[in-house]
Amino acid sequence: MACRTVCQLLQRRLASSAASVRLSAAEERGRRSAVFSREQARQRSLYPRTEKIEVTLQIPGLQGTLLVMNKGLSTPHSCARHLTEWYVTSSALALVDGKPWSLHQPLTQSCSLSLLAFKDTDPLLVNQAYWRSCAALLGQVLQDAFKEDFSVELLRLPEVLVTSGAFCCDVVLDPQLDAWNPSEESLRSLTRGAQQLIHRDLPWEPLEVAPPVALEVFSHSSDTHLRCVFIHVYGTHTHSCLTSYLSLRCGDHVLLSGGPLVARTGLCSQYEVTAIHRLGEGKWGLHRRAQGLSLPLQQQAHHTVWRKLRSRAEKLVEVPTGSTNEAISDTLTPPSAPEQTPPQQ
Amino acid sequence: MAAWTCRHLLYRGARVLAGRTGAVAAADSCLFQSVRTVKTTTWWEEHLTEDNKSYMRKSLGEEYNRQIAAKLHPLKDEPWPRQEWTKGLVAVKLGMAPVWTKTGERHVVTMLQVQDCHVLNYLSKEEYDGHTAALMVGGKNASPFYKTDEEMEMFRLAGVPPKQKVTTFKVSDNAIIKPGTPLYAAHFRPGQYVDVTAKTIGKGFQGVMKRYGFKGQPASHGQTKTHRRPGASGPGGDPAKVFKGKKMPGMMGNVFDTAHGLKVWRVNTRYNVIYVHGSVPGHKNCLLKVRDTNLPTYVEKNINPPFPTFFCEEDEQLPEDLYDEDLFIHTQPSLTL
Repeated sequence: MACRTVCQLLQRRLASSAASVRLSAAEERGRRSAVFSREQARQRSLYPRTEKIEVTLQIPGLQGTLLVMNKGLSTPHSCARHLTEWYVTSSALALVDGKPWSLHQPLTQSCSLSLLAFKDTDPLLVNQAYWRSCAALLGQVLQDAFKEDFSVELLRLPEVLVTSGAFCCDVVLDPQLDAWNPSEESLRSLTRGAQQLIHRDLPWEPLEVAPPVALEVFSHSSDTHLRCVFIHVYGTHTHSCLTSYLSLRCGDHVLLSGGPLVARTGLCSQYEVTAIHRLGEGKWGLHRRAQGLSLPLQQQAHHTVWRKLRSRAEKLVEVPTGSTNEAISDTLTPPSAPEQTPPQQ
Repeated sequence: MAAWTCRHLLYRGARVLAGRTGAVAAADSCLFQSVRTVKTTTWWEEHLTEDNKSYMRKSLGEEYNRQIAAKLHPLKDEPWPRQEWTKGLVAVKLGMAPVWTKTGERHVVTMLQVQDCHVLNYLSKEEYDGHTAALMVGGKNASPFYKTDEEMEMFRLAGVPPKQKVTTFKVSDNAIIKPGTPLYAAHFRPGQYVDVTAKTIGKGFQGVMKRYGFKGQPASHGQTKTHRRPGASGPGGDPAKVFKGKKMPGMMGNVFDTAHGLKVWRVNTRYNVIYVHGSVPGHKNCLLKVRDTNLPTYVEKNINPPFPTFFCEEDEQLPEDLYDEDLFIHTQPSLTL
């Protein structure tokens, strides 16, 4: 129900923003970052007095250790800082009461915490989060890489398994670039851009935002992005009507994600953009899938092993489209019957 | 485990402007610049699971076989012309054996086996040293896990498995051979003369008697603590010094040495073995560089061989063993009536 309202709001916003001035990409990013910071500050101000919460650690070797942390301010990262440096550098994800939790997201109540690293016996969650983070990084690199004249629209970051060979990022480039095919040199320059981001070791700051705020962050942009924002991960969740969206900021790029990402970009070490495939004409232009391969800092591969993985990452990764696109088109197009429910504004 | 480290470089920046103002910008006066580097200290199988390890090993073997098989029958559209070239190979020293000539003289020969020898690279005169062209040849397959990425680049370009020994042969300008061509023992024929270069067996720190063959001193008749010593070290008062290069005790062996003018007695094409006269430096199973000889007596004979250079794709079927005309073939009867 709430989703339908939101999507109707979208339609009206689309109509209104069509006539508005289009900002340049850099200004747009700055504006989004400012909205993000404002929301972050507002959420922090919800806890004016420092209240204490009790965090029980579920780490092998430290079972049952009790940490007294600050409510709404302490993150699993700060809990790790109370332990040793190894936990700080090697933790990628946290499990709060069994739920995957970003390492930099504040804890709001007493809970049990366990820190996950890449070398655990069951690294499934961490691996998926890492793959998602690498795809987000790829999206960021692609948005930064092109000149100001060309527009780059991020379609979605499809959820692929680690065993599929490569993480993907669906983009739509400027129509002027329809004939452009990336050469070896351009892939290498994209890799260089990604390596620079990794080198800067930027943290991924998570923030749970309500739908109106999410709309505000991504408004004033072109039609494509507004629609894509909800496709690119929340396509599967449209019917479940989420009350909040997980938004992350890395540097000055803000994006939405379907699950928690790892703590910071510095956790990746070997990172290569392997291919950009053409998917064919879609609703918003020529769809392209950019693929990449990456390994974390603690699990570097020998160059022979890396080459073998890379040759597989160059092949196109098939993503099961499922019901995501159809669900979105249902909710986006206004129903044929006249709206009985008055719009709630 | 990998870790981030900091490499501190001495940075010769702009001159410090301390004279003008009291406060100097930190960037200008900074003499040390920290560059963030990544230190990797890992072996290739550290982060792999057991089945991944066995998969990598198996797939490597299969890839080697595929690469070698691909090179056996090169494509017809070879643009590189086949020319006569000063021959060279990388071989493995197997051991020694006796041979007899038809007149009954006994000689000893060393057996050198050519294992997985491929041409890796051709360097033209300008690229190499400005005087002669060069050909890089590698022998005996090795594991890529213990070679760096830069070393592997040459092997990848040639499309061959990585080699244990890579040598450079100086060749004539027109001796262009396509990288990836396999080389066989049949390149050398009986009757030719070769030079064999290898690293000699290391003897460690040795005294002057073993190292240079000094006579030493007698064992008895009053010698006090002097039996294997060098004795006098030079002329005496006139130079009043010891000349440079004086033979003295030191590290012996483990240096490259060449045996010149060795005759090839026999070539086995099935196992790719060359039988060369006499002894060669190096221990058993060591890798050697086998080259056409430089000695003036035999160079003329080698330039105009009575047979063309051997390339695999020719249809001629060579017999399994090629013997020199003077050599007594031990499988045949010694007396013929």
